[in-house]
Amino acid sequence: MTKETFLHAKHVSLGAKMVDFAGWHMPVQYTSIIEEHNNVRNNVGLFDVSHMGEVFISGKDSLEFLQKIVPQDISKLVYEKAVYCQLPNEKGGLIDDLIIYKLGINYYLIICNASRIDEDVNWMSLNSKGFDVKIDNQSHNYSLLAVQGPKADELLRTMGLDTLQDSFTIKPAKILNRKMYVSRTGYTGEDGYELLVENDFAEELWDKILEYGKPFGIMPIGLGARDTLRLEAALHLYGNDLDEETTPVEAGLSWSLPKDKKEDYNGKSVIMEQIANGGRKKLVGLKMLDKNIARHGYDVYYNGVKTGVVTSGGISPVLGANIALAYVDNKDIKVGSTVQVMIREKLHDAEVVKKPFVDKRNKIRI
Amino acid sequence: MSITEKILCTKTHEYILKNDDGTYTVGLTDYAVEQLGDIVFLELPEVGSTYSKGDSFAAIESVKAASEIYMPISGEIVEANTAIVETPETLNEDVYENGWLVKIKATADASELDDLLEYEDYKEEVE
Repeated sequence: MTKETFLHAKHVSLGAKMVDFAGWHMPVQYTSIIEEHNNVRNNVGLFDVSHMGEVFISGKDSLEFLQKIVPQDISKLVYEKAVYCQLPNEKGGLIDDLIIYKLGINYYLIICNASRIDEDVNWMSLNSKGFDVKIDNQSHNYSLLAVQGPKADELLRTMGLDTLQDSFTIKPAKILNRKMYVSRTGYTGEDGYELLVENDFAEELWDKILEYGKPFGIMPIGLGARDTLRLEAALHLYGNDLDEETTPVEAGLSWSLPKDKKEDYNGKSVIMEQIANGGRKKLVGLKMLDKNIARHGYDVYYNGVKTGVVTSGGISPVLGANIALAYVDNKDIKVGSTVQVMIREKLHDAEVVKKPFVDKRNKIRI
Repeated sequence: MSITEKILCTKTHEYILKNDDGTYTVGLTDYAVEQLGDIVFLELPEVGSTYSKGDSFAAIESVKAASEIYMPISGEIVEANTAIVETPETLNEDVYENGWLVKIKATADASELDDLLEYEDYKEEVE
């Protein structure tokens, strides 16, 4: 049974092309993926990401519990701040990636991937034995709207947003005089906010953002552009670029891993060993050297030998080139190397480039 | 007579149009292109290549996905619309006048087209 968000009727009335994604009936595009993509880079876009999971953690052992389940040092997470985390299994493979927000003393919010809510909650429950902690899956009670792009802040100010926030912060705030959690995070590589609201306010808020957003050139944005935006920003997609066989070191997430965290956590021995010596494979950014498009699942070759696989690939509207994320196991491959991607039974050259492909403020990296 | 009254369509979304000189023009239906969304890549065969009905002869990609294009009738490619390989987004505007793909000299009897649908019936079938 496919689920619908509380904004489903809005998407249909806007003429969105709907698809099934992670068990949800979601808009993939309203007009054109490229147009929507560019609008987020240049102006502002509104996304319904209510399919994502919200899990609240409370109880006197909340911190100790979180320290056990993620490699990040949650003791350093201060009130109203957010941190990008992973949920490793004992082998260091990833059950999910998520953002943890500190809402109060012994009170945290986890926002996780729609496709992994059940696995995450099961895994957390299994790991909660012996801790005085409550794992409260509230995903069905909240809608999540993302307002992303260089004009997002100005737009929300005109709607009465009453807080000043740095990137990776969350605050209880008011927009249109209604209380909600406002977090300065996103999945586009742009500045922007995510608004966590009770379901009964979702439709009104959606309409008002589009209304107030008109002078800013706002457009509703579907999952298609969400995918091309996150790929340009080299942000991982769980199920494509992350899975239970892949460690955060292999996924190029070492920047997020503390080297000095004292507490033990799931997968710590594997992760610490890989921080020192590298993983079995590594994630690289590719830029195709011809017009062909690398896609998820295509094989990657180096010096005539198969060395890995593309996990995400597509077009970059900002670069006007085709880009991909791929895992390779040959340690000689580095930025500047040329590899080949097998596309329709022919090898096509690609250059290994730095990630992200496109920086915030559209500074092109490659 | 509008162009949609002269074409036949396959269930895999190709259209075929008989030209005055006896060749056929083949392209993708407007419905197919609308479903694919922004077209960003097109690969066409070399002139002179021959294919059987049902063979994949070209590749098309939208932002979201890659698809293959199949021969509606056995034949030899006599012309490829190489201009649109450089500007595949043309297909989003027009699949007939400028957005056709190849011209074919059939090597089989026209009865190979018997299982194709008229445009109106095709639309009814796919929608």
